[in-house]
Amino acid sequence: MVKNITIFTTNTCAYCVMVKKWLGAKGFAYEEVNLDTNPERQKEAFELSGALSVPVTVITKEDDSKEIVVGYNLAKLAPAVG
Amino acid sequence: MADKEIHDVIMVGAGPCALTAAIYTTREDIDTVLFEKGVIGGLAAVTDWIDNYPGFVDGISGLDLSDALYKQAERFGAEIRLGEVTEIIDEGSMKKLVTTDGDIYAKSVLVATGSDYKKLGIAGEKEYYARGVHYCATCDGAFYRDKRIVVVGGGNSAVQEAMFLTKFATHIDLLVRGDSMRASEILQHELEKHKEKITVHLNTTTDEIVGENNVVTKVVGTDTTSGQKIEIETDGVFVFIGLLPNTQFLASSKIELDEIGMVKTDSNLQTSMPGVFAAGDVRAGATMQIASAAGEGATAALMIRKYLEDHERGVIAPPSPATMSAT
Repeated sequence: MVKNITIFTTNTCAYCVMVKKWLGAKGFAYEEVNLDTNPERQKEAFELSGALSVPVTVITKEDDSKEIVVGYNLAKLAPAVG
Repeated sequence: MADKEIHDVIMVGAGPCALTAAIYTTREDIDTVLFEKGVIGGLAAVTDWIDNYPGFVDGISGLDLSDALYKQAERFGAEIRLGEVTEIIDEGSMKKLVTTDGDIYAKSVLVATGSDYKKLGIAGEKEYYARGVHYCATCDGAFYRDKRIVVVGGGNSAVQEAMFLTKFATHIDLLVRGDSMRASEILQHELEKHKEKITVHLNTTTDEIVGENNVVTKVVGTDTTSGQKIEIETDGVFVFIGLLPNTQFLASSKIELDEIGMVKTDSNLQTSMPGVFAAGDVRAGATMQIASAAGEGATAALMIRKYLEDHERGVIAPPSPATMSAT
């Protein structure tokens, strides 16, 4: 079970829009961290994902384990929230 | 056993071409479903700024244009599903589409899957993907604040995205394989305005991306006029060297492709599989322009409407081999 979801995004990232759209369509709430308005959190996004890229979706489960999905990747997102 | 899910038309892709086609078909009450495996708006959506789409005096961001097309298509009743079509099977008057949502049937199909950026195919490219090698400036540029960037390519996308990246980077080296830029004159003039931040290297191949401790540190290339190896220190590499059609999913179908994998159509935009049409960047002979893709989407919608009318009357015209070509 999903406890919470955080998405790291930027203003111009179309893939970020898609992740938000997909999660919204599936009925998931999420917190968005916009790295254009919060550049100090870039390091956090990189440390979590190992990628210099957005979107980074952090799915925290009930047992506090985390799954990290980089990009708009339904093959990874769907099982991660399922 | 559940009834088959059948639609008048299924559009594969949801870029400017398919969204325009959907605006036209839904306004004709043609039951229309679009499948998009990537981004709604396609490559247009990941383009920073679009200055040559008619009707926008000051230009429009790719994301805003895509969103407007999406909302317009939805307003008339187009249904957009976030999923993937993996195969199109000809069952005569009906086409079976194998999708990630299961099998779906359609009386007609529009293939409008567009194209994607080519890869360089050099050492270090895969290894540093998303950790120093990128294909989307609007997504990943923000990670390069106050850093040095190499942009590879000499066409419109490379120049436009290099200029976008000046928002973040301290300096950009633009590596162009040929002896001149392929970008439009207006973009080359714009590029001149950024010459303090962007250095253009003509006649320069990009041979290897090198890093240390999981971080990109330099690009190794060749000055093709002298044959000398060159090394350019950088924190990241953005690649825009042209486009490849998204037609891998058609490999097992009987739809005819040209030598680079683009879909051949007749003058009615019908492919070699009757009832399956193709338009936009994926079509052989496409001009790779957003305005052209939208125009072809409108044309395809009208051809599909005629096909469906003939279909209802039991008159099915096969694709015309005489006009089947790459232009």
